[in-house]
Order: sequence, then C-alpha cells, then structure tokens
Amino acid sequence: MNILICIKQVPDMESKFKINGEGTWYDRADLAWRMNEYDEYAVEQAVRLKEQVKDADLTVLCIGPDQVTESIKKALAMGCDRGVHITDPDSSQREPITIATMIAGFAKDKNFDIIFTGMQSQDRGSAQVGVMVAELLGIPAVTTIVDFAYDNGSIQVKRELEGGSKALVTATAPVVLTCQLGLNTPRYPTLPNIMKAKKKELLALSPDTGGIDARQETTACYFPEKKGGGLVLEGEIPELADKLIQLLKEKTSVLA
Amino acid sequence: MKTLLVAEFREGKLRAEYSQLVAFAQQQRTEAAMFLVGSAGELPKFNGTLYLADAAKHGEYNPTVHKQLLLEVIEKEQPTQIVFLHSSYGWDLAPRVAVALQAAQVSEIIAVENGLPVVPVCNAKLRRSIKSTTGRTVLTIQAGAFSLEGEPEGTPTVVAIDTAATGKVQCTGYEAAKIEGVDLTKADIIVSAGRGVGKPENVAMVQALAKALGGEYGASRPVVDAGWVEHNRQVGTTGSTVTPKLYVACGISGAIQHLAGMKKSDFIVAINTDKDAPIGEVASVLVVADLKQFLPVLTEKLNAR
Amino acid sequence: MEFTREIYWNVGHGFATLAPMYGLLLLAVAIFVLGLVKRLKVYRLGQPLDRTDQRRERIKHMLETVLLQTKVFRVPGAGTAHAFFFWSFFVLFIGTTLIVLQADFSDLLFGIKFLKGTFYKLFSLTLDLAGLTAILMLAGLLVRRYLVRPQGLVTKGDDALMHGLLLAILITGFLIEGARMAVTELYVPQLAAWSPVGWGVATLLAGVGEPGLRTLHIGLWWFHLLLALAFIAVLPYSKFRHILTTSANAFFADRGPIGKLGTVNLEDENTEKFGANELADLRWKDIFDADACTLCKRCQDRCPAYATGKPLSPMQVVNQIGEIAFTKPDANLIETIGREAIWACTTCRACQDICPASIEHVGKIVEMRRNLVLMEGEFPGEEVMAAMEQTEVNGNPLGMGYASRGDWAEPLGVKPLSEDPEVDVLYFVGCYASFDKRNIAVATSFIKLCQAAGIKVGILGKEEKCCGEPMRKMGNEYLYQTLAMETVEIIKGYGVKKIVTTCPHCFNTLTKDYRDFDFDIEVVPHALFLEELVAGGKLPVKAEDFACTYHDSCYLGRHNGLYDAPRKLIRSMGGRIAEMAKNRDQAFCCSAGGGRILAEEKLGERINVKRVQMAVETGAGQLLANCPFCLTMFEDGVKGANVEEQLRPRDIAEVLAERITSENA
Repeated sequence: MNILICIKQVPDMESKFKINGEGTWYDRADLAWRMNEYDEYAVEQAVRLKEQVKDADLTVLCIGPDQVTESIKKALAMGCDRGVHITDPDSSQREPITIATMIAGFAKDKNFDIIFTGMQSQDRGSAQVGVMVAELLGIPAVTTIVDFAYDNGSIQVKRELEGGSKALVTATAPVVLTCQLGLNTPRYPTLPNIMKAKKKELLALSPDTGGIDARQETTACYFPEKKGGGLVLEGEIPELADKLIQLLKEKTSVLA
Repeated sequence: MKTLLVAEFREGKLRAEYSQLVAFAQQQRTEAAMFLVGSAGELPKFNGTLYLADAAKHGEYNPTVHKQLLLEVIEKEQPTQIVFLHSSYGWDLAPRVAVALQAAQVSEIIAVENGLPVVPVCNAKLRRSIKSTTGRTVLTIQAGAFSLEGEPEGTPTVVAIDTAATGKVQCTGYEAAKIEGVDLTKADIIVSAGRGVGKPENVAMVQALAKALGGEYGASRPVVDAGWVEHNRQVGTTGSTVTPKLYVACGISGAIQHLAGMKKSDFIVAINTDKDAPIGEVASVLVVADLKQFLPVLTEKLNAR
Repeated sequence: MEFTREIYWNVGHGFATLAPMYGLLLLAVAIFVLGLVKRLKVYRLGQPLDRTDQRRERIKHMLETVLLQTKVFRVPGAGTAHAFFFWSFFVLFIGTTLIVLQADFSDLLFGIKFLKGTFYKLFSLTLDLAGLTAILMLAGLLVRRYLVRPQGLVTKGDDALMHGLLLAILITGFLIEGARMAVTELYVPQLAAWSPVGWGVATLLAGVGEPGLRTLHIGLWWFHLLLALAFIAVLPYSKFRHILTTSANAFFADRGPIGKLGTVNLEDENTEKFGANELADLRWKDIFDADACTLCKRCQDRCPAYATGKPLSPMQVVNQIGEIAFTKPDANLIETIGREAIWACTTCRACQDICPASIEHVGKIVEMRRNLVLMEGEFPGEEVMAAMEQTEVNGNPLGMGYASRGDWAEPLGVKPLSEDPEVDVLYFVGCYASFDKRNIAVATSFIKLCQAAGIKVGILGKEEKCCGEPMRKMGNEYLYQTLAMETVEIIKGYGVKKIVTTCPHCFNTLTKDYRDFDFDIEVVPHALFLEELVAGGKLPVKAEDFACTYHDSCYLGRHNGLYDAPRKLIRSMGGRIAEMAKNRDQAFCCSAGGGRILAEEKLGERINVKRVQMAVETGAGQLLANCPFCLTMFEDGVKGANVEEQLRPRDIAEVLAERITSENA
C-alpha cells in the first residue's frame, strides 16, 4: 500500500501575531511553529493503517521554507517512512489551487492508494487543498472524516456533520481523505523513533506550480476590532442585563 | 451580477440554513438562483429559479454527481458567484466546482466589506480580505454570519435537472448524534459556574441561563472538585479545552488552567464581583455584578425574547 | 574473694562440648554464606552503578547510621524501641564475643582470664541490664505489632520468627544464668548483686534443687546455643537480613546532590531502550534496596499520594521490585506496580528522606516513567501530553506564546539580557511567574524588592524557556535535555555570574541537574537571597506583627535543607509562625511536584485541599509559600476546602514587599 500524507507547518495559534510589512499576511517574527493540528490526525491515521496492514509505505510531504523540515521530522518520528520537502520560501503567498497543483504534480505518477491530509490548516483555514488535489488527480475525496476503517480494500469512514451526527461513507482506493480533529489520538513520538527519524530519507524538491495563474489576491490582512474590547459593564442589574443582551446581538451570532 | 446559491438536503430534509444563502444574496443585492439536490416535497421558501435534482436518485452526499449537476446549471445560468454554506456539504463540494471552473474560491466569508469578501484566519485572530481575479468566484459563507431579518418567504420556480453521472463513494447511512455524555468541545455556547456561585444550589441558575441561551453548562475545577457539577463538564487544561462562539464565565476568577481551557472562545462574557479578576484579561465583556442577582434577571429577559 | 564465674560451668569444656558446638557453628555459617551468595546473584541482575566512591565518608555515614541509629531514632516510639533494642543486643553480642574470646582462646591457649574483678562486675551488670532492656523493647514492639496493629503495618511470618527467636534467645539466656546462679551464687549476694536479673530468676528456680537445676541448665544451654546458631543460619533467608543489608545500604547510600536524577545518555546511538520496565533495566542498588527494606512503613506514612487514597505506597513499590527480583525476574515491572501508582508520585521525597534504610524510591519511579514516556509515548493523561507538546512549541507547558514571556516585566523597567546584559543578577523567572497572573504578582514583588535594595536585575525574556523540571520528573528526559541544553547555552552566553529564582523547581534543576551540562553558575532561591539582603541591612524592613503559617516546599525543604532561612526572614518582617503539624523535613507536599502540576488529580482526595486544611488548623490567616507551584495549588485548595475567607496563600516576597520602608521603595 502506498500512502501519501500532506502536512503543513503553521504558527502556534497562541503566538503573538503581527501583520507583515505588505499588510497581506502575518509577520514570521516571534512565532512558534508546529505541525497543523488537523494534519497530525492525518499522520496518525496513516501510521495506524500501516500498523494494521503491515505492508505500507508512508510518504509525508510538506511545502514551505527550510524550517518545515522540523514538522516533517515529527511525522517521520510518528512513523512515516520517507519525507518530501518541496522547498518553497513563498508558500505562504500561494493560494490553495497552487499548493494543490504542486502536490498533485508530485503525486500524479506515484500511484498513491490513499492520500491523507487535514481538512484545513489552522492559519489559512480554507479547507480547499485536499479536495483540489483529488480533483486534479481525478480521484474521489471524502472530507472531514472522524472515523476510519480499512478492511481488505474497502474503506469505511464517518464524516462529521453539523449537529454531531455523522454520515457513513464507503470508498475504495485511490482516494483522498481529509481529517477532522478527534479522528484519533495522535501519538507522542517515542525516543527510539525520534532517533530513527533522523536517519530516514528526506527528499528536497523545488516547487513546480504547473504554470497556474493567480486566481485571487489578499488585499489586506488585519486584526479584527476587539469584540466588546474588554468592555466593563457596571450599574443596575436590569440595565446590565439589557446591555449585555444588546451586545450579544451585535457582536455574536448566538442570539440570531 | 448573478449568483447561484447551493442549498443543502440531509436525512430527507431541506436544511433550514438555506435562508443564510438568501440573506447573503439579498445583502449583495444580486439576482439569485438556487441549486438543490433534494426533494420536491421539501422546497425552500425563495422567489427565483430552483434547479432541483432528486436526492433519492443522486444521493444526499455524492460529490462527483452533485458537482456534475451543478456544473450543468452553471453552464446554463452563467452566474458570477456560486455560493455555498461553509458546512460539511459546502466545503466538500465547493473546491470541486472551483477546480472545474478554474475559478477562485474564497472560504468562510463572514462579511463583505468594500465589495470584497472578508474571511477569518489564524483561529479568527486575524481577518483577510480577498479579491478574486477570475471572472467567476466560488464562495462559502460562515454559518450564522448572514441572516434574514424575518422568516424566509417566496415560492421557487422549479426546474428539474438530472444527470447520468455516477460517483465512486457511497453514503450508506447516518449515525445520530450521541446524546449520552456531554461533549463541551462541540458546544457553541457554554455557560460555566465558578466558585463564585457560592453553594451547590446556585448551580441551577447557571444551568437555567445555559438553557435560555440554548447552550451547555460547564464549571471550573473547584466546582467540579466540590462535586457540584459532574466531571465531564469541567473546563480547563485538566478538563475540556473549549472554543465556543459564546462563553459565559459566572463567578470564575480565572485561574490560569481555566483560562487556557476557554480563552480561545469567540466571545467571552465574565460575570464577576471582582473587577480585577484575571478573567477580565480574556473577557470581551466583564459584567461587574453579583451573579446570584444578575443571572436570574438575565435569564428571565432572554426567555422573554 | 575473686569476682568471676566459671565459663562452661556444668557444660564442660572438653572435646565433647567444643566439637559439636563448633561443628554446628560451621554448619550455621555455611548455610548463612549460601544464602548470602544466592542473594548476591540476584543483586547482580541489575545494571552496574558505582557506589563505592568516597569510601571514608561512606564508612563514616554507615557507622553513624548503624551504631548511633540516627535515622531509626527520628521516629519516636517504634524507632526508640528499635534503637534501644539494637544497642542492648549489640552489647549482648559483644559480651558473648568476650566470653568466647576468653574461654576458647585466651584462657585455653595462654591461660589469660580477663572476665574477673571489677571488670567482671560491670560486665555482668551491663549484660544483665542489656538483656532486660532488649526483652522490654522487644515486648513493646511485639505489643505494637500484634496487639496495637498500626494502620498499614505489614506483618508476615518473618516477623513472628524474628520476635519469637529473639525473645527465646533472651529468655533462655536469663534462664541459663538463673539456673547457674541458683547453684553457684544464690548464697553469695555480693556477687549475685552484679547480675540482678539472673539473681531474680535464680531465686525463682531455687526450689528445684541442684540435680534438677543442673539438668535444666545443660538442656537450656544447648537449646540457647541452637537458637543462636539458628539465628545465624536463617539470617539471609529472613527479615533478619536487614541487619546486614540495611547497614550496608547506609554505605551504598546516594551521596547526592539530593534529588538530582541520573542523566540518561541520549547521544549513544546503540541504546534502544530507555527507562525501566523490566528488572534488568534497574540498577543493582534498586534490587538491593528491596532487601534493605524492613517494611517499617515510614515512607508510606508520609507519602501524600498514599495519604489521599491513591494507589501508591513507596514501600510497596520497593517490595514489588524485590518480589520480582527473587521470584519472577521476567515479570513486567510497570504492569506489576501499576501505572496509576507510578504516575501518582509527586517526587516530594518524604519517603526517601525518612527512610532509615537509605532506600531511593523516587529514582525507581522516574525510571519507570521514563520507560512509559520515552518508549511508549504514554502519559498519565492527555492533558500532560498536551503540556509536553506545548512546551516543545512554546517553551512553557501553559501553552502561552513564547514571545510574550517577558511582557510582565516591561512596566517594571526590567530588561532582557539581550537588550542589557550588564546586570547584578539574572532572575530566572520560570513559567508560572512569567504567565500566570497570580504568580506575576510574586515576580513583581521580587523585582520591587531588588530595586529597593539597589540590585540590577535582568531576565532572559522570550529567550527563557521552561527549565524542564516537570517534564523530567514526568519521565520526559528527551524534552528535559533539549530544554536544559538550550538554557545552559543561553545563560552561559551572557556571562552571568549569579542567578536568582522564585521557583524552587527551577532552583533545584539549575543548581543540581544542570551540573551534567557543565553548568556551575551560582543559583540562589529568592527566600535565601532576600533573607541575606535583610540580614545584611541592604533591605530596610519595617517589621509589622502578623500571624501566619509557613509551608516548606519540597524542593527548598527536603531537597535543599532550607528550613531556617525562610523562617528567619518571616520573623524579621514581624511574622509569628504557627507551625503546621507536618513541617520542615516532614512537610506535606502541595501535590504539584513530580510534574503533577501538569496532570489532573483523578484519584482519591485532593492533596492540596488536605494541606490547606492543615494550614487552617493553625488558626493563622495566612499561608506563606516560597514556590509558584505550591501557591497555585493553595489558591485552588482554599477554594476546594471552602476556606477562602479563613486562609490567604501568599508568597514570602509579596509580604516582604509590603514592609519595605518608603525611602527606598
């Protein structure tokens, strides 16, 4: 079985974000970086599948500047067999279709049976890349999976739907699966595996965007107005309650 | 400008969220048609053309086929925008359409400002406004971001559509949401009780407010430790880490373990007698009041709405 | 008259006596040696560990511990009884040896007798009193074990054997003496008076008549001899072995620094296993410890986990290892001891500190944790795994963005060394004082105190990371070493001369554990640093009377012996300390050590609530602490115990900062 896992390195969401000079994205300074949480579930599911079927080869792919190899190494320590780093310092400027084209370009002649990836990234959160890879490769995709079972060529997944219900979906390889949080419990890499990961193959490729033209551009990236803005309400109880209800109506969608 | 709205149908029912699509189109003042793989017995209240395919034949979740149906409608309608809900159906189908149309896709729009869609990024810490450079754009809108003033109304002109396309994945059924055991991480609204509630009987006030808001109730560690609220409702690093749309902290001073477990919530209301309590640092609104007096009044007013 | 007695009276001193006697002795010694060799083989199953360095200190420590019973004596009651029993039995042993020396060597070979005259009188009296003391102490211990039955005391067949055999030896000894004296000394009171107990027994036996007494005497003599030889023979096979193993363990004891864990070599690429899940992964000392354990349960009595209903008894852990070693060496350690027990430890060191047998409990538990974490990726809960990942990403277990680590200090005018490296001291802030509002208040007080004393303080700011202590104690040696190496490099890079901490966990780690990374910069905990400032007159304090109780954090107290300096500091600012029942080296942990600060306390009662209740019982309204973990736990604990109104937890520095005279403040 030949499996590809596409991961992204993202800033830790607790980081102190600043807007970059162009005003189009965050500044990279003072950020702590980690593997996109959704992708951790994708890696874990692939490793579990390998543990189940034994005969599987796991390739983990990540696009970005040199520092993303840290995330690739983590995936290797979790149990992936080889790493592919598409070295692209400009990856944060790329739109989903470009990223998907780069991945599909790598995957097209490799006959991957399953491609796992996160349903979205924590920073851009577009939830497009996985499905686009499948479309570009001409294979099916099932998104937002929270349960995965493989039995003798048949793939059974559960998609998470709104309101907590789930759709039961069956598929066969080749397929792209995008993983939702809670699909499994991503493992903490063991020390022997961290050591082994240091010796695993890590292939560096240059980016090939397939000549795709830009389809969108970011005109601005900015901090939202602080909701309520640390507002302190004081006064008589009934008026306080009215003020709060008014605020909830204005600033949130929960009273809609 | 012409807009095609993609409505949703699940478990034999039209999903009421289609009204948000209508609201979006109204706000944009664009001519709109609607697309639905559903049933003639469950029609949206909408004045305009409804392209309706039969879900009994094409499946409720069958993306390849739905994409094919949609592409045929787009061919006919020539919309400049195709709008989906940013939902398990929408984010699954939209990129397929975008790839086929070679169109830009903008996901999870929360507003349109100066004619440009705005989306949240980095856990809603930042906003991004995006300009599409393709003639046609695929959009998904965030749940709850656009809503109608009143109830949706109208009667669509139904145009039946069909295709011979088949898909490679099968949706074989549904699994109902588990009712037993609360999972606060999934809740949109959480009202939590802290030590400030004083005594176990007062937890009921917190529960009542949660009910009035249509959310779940939770608690900080000391309240759970005291046995006033069951353990699976504990919010904090040693309980659940939650990110609801609204978090109401009642009488919670804000120990760091608790803050770490809830500060990513979209909107935080803290009700506390102490203005300087650490919870104030993460709160969007701090109501300085005795919760024992404030909660019943607030609950009553919410219920009266 | 000559004050002496005939040795071998009534028994005879010929070949007929000596041959069987020494024959049997040889047999007993042979059985003894065989048993010892068997056990030595088992100790060898463990990994090597050098515990024979610093021999002079080791021997001195052993002699003190054994002969003066210093550690045994720390617990009154059973400890006192044991010490007096030991001393009297030791005297009896010397007495018997002297008799053998005279009768079978000096007198036999050279005709020299020294058991005569005044020396004999004192000799006889001493032995008589020693015998009596031994019987009384043993009786007391017997009553305690079999009638009083203290909670948690494990009583086995071994204990019956020990009490029975020792009592039989002592009583038969007096009966033999009595029978002899009834025939030879009863009417020589000036001699009999020097054997008062024997005299008493003789008086009781007087009616038997000489032939009967002689028969009784010789019978009892041989019986007594057999009992004594049996004692030698069974020693390695029974709990009697502790006479040797516990004494030897004092020699092999960990010579510190106290609480410093062994650093795992992570560079060695041939190592495929880390930590311990099998006997063979432990060191020989860990197995030997089990043999040195006397099941005195002092560790268990002081274990905060045990006291709050968690499935951990340090005593049991040590003995489960022993059981595996001697009965099923292939068993899985972790399965046998149980994960919940392994994770429950707060590394408070109360067990190790009180142990009279020099057993090292904490290291064993950490070794097993290392195996779980490094080999299995297992933690006591998901929250702990999340904290580890947070630390990997942001350098703190709280999940706060690393770049804001120094934000708290900005309004105080304290700069990171990266901006201004010319400072008097580096304040290593720690994670809690950097990010937690409650503990930022402590850090702020500390800075104000330093400023009042004219000391220029710098911090590392966003370059500072967690010292790695909670991770290390949780078994995550890899993450700890990563953090430690980075921290050492950064601090050394600034040429820092002195470091002050407000967190005893940071202090202990920097000052001890970091030694393995060639880190030897002076580190001072704030309690001591401030005390020295006040004592040196650099910090003008306006003492103001207040009542408080003081909690000895495990890492300033038991790990570093700092009990007096913080108390002196508190008194210097006007504090009247009402001590809690468990204080100083017996202080009860706050629950946060051993990395437990990262974990949910799912089992049993809350340790912090229990400690807070002890503080409330003192009647003092303030609970002074010196550790951010303790403070966090107490803030939680006063809520849990519902005593927010009665008890206010505070750090020493906060109280001191309020008492600085205005001219400098």
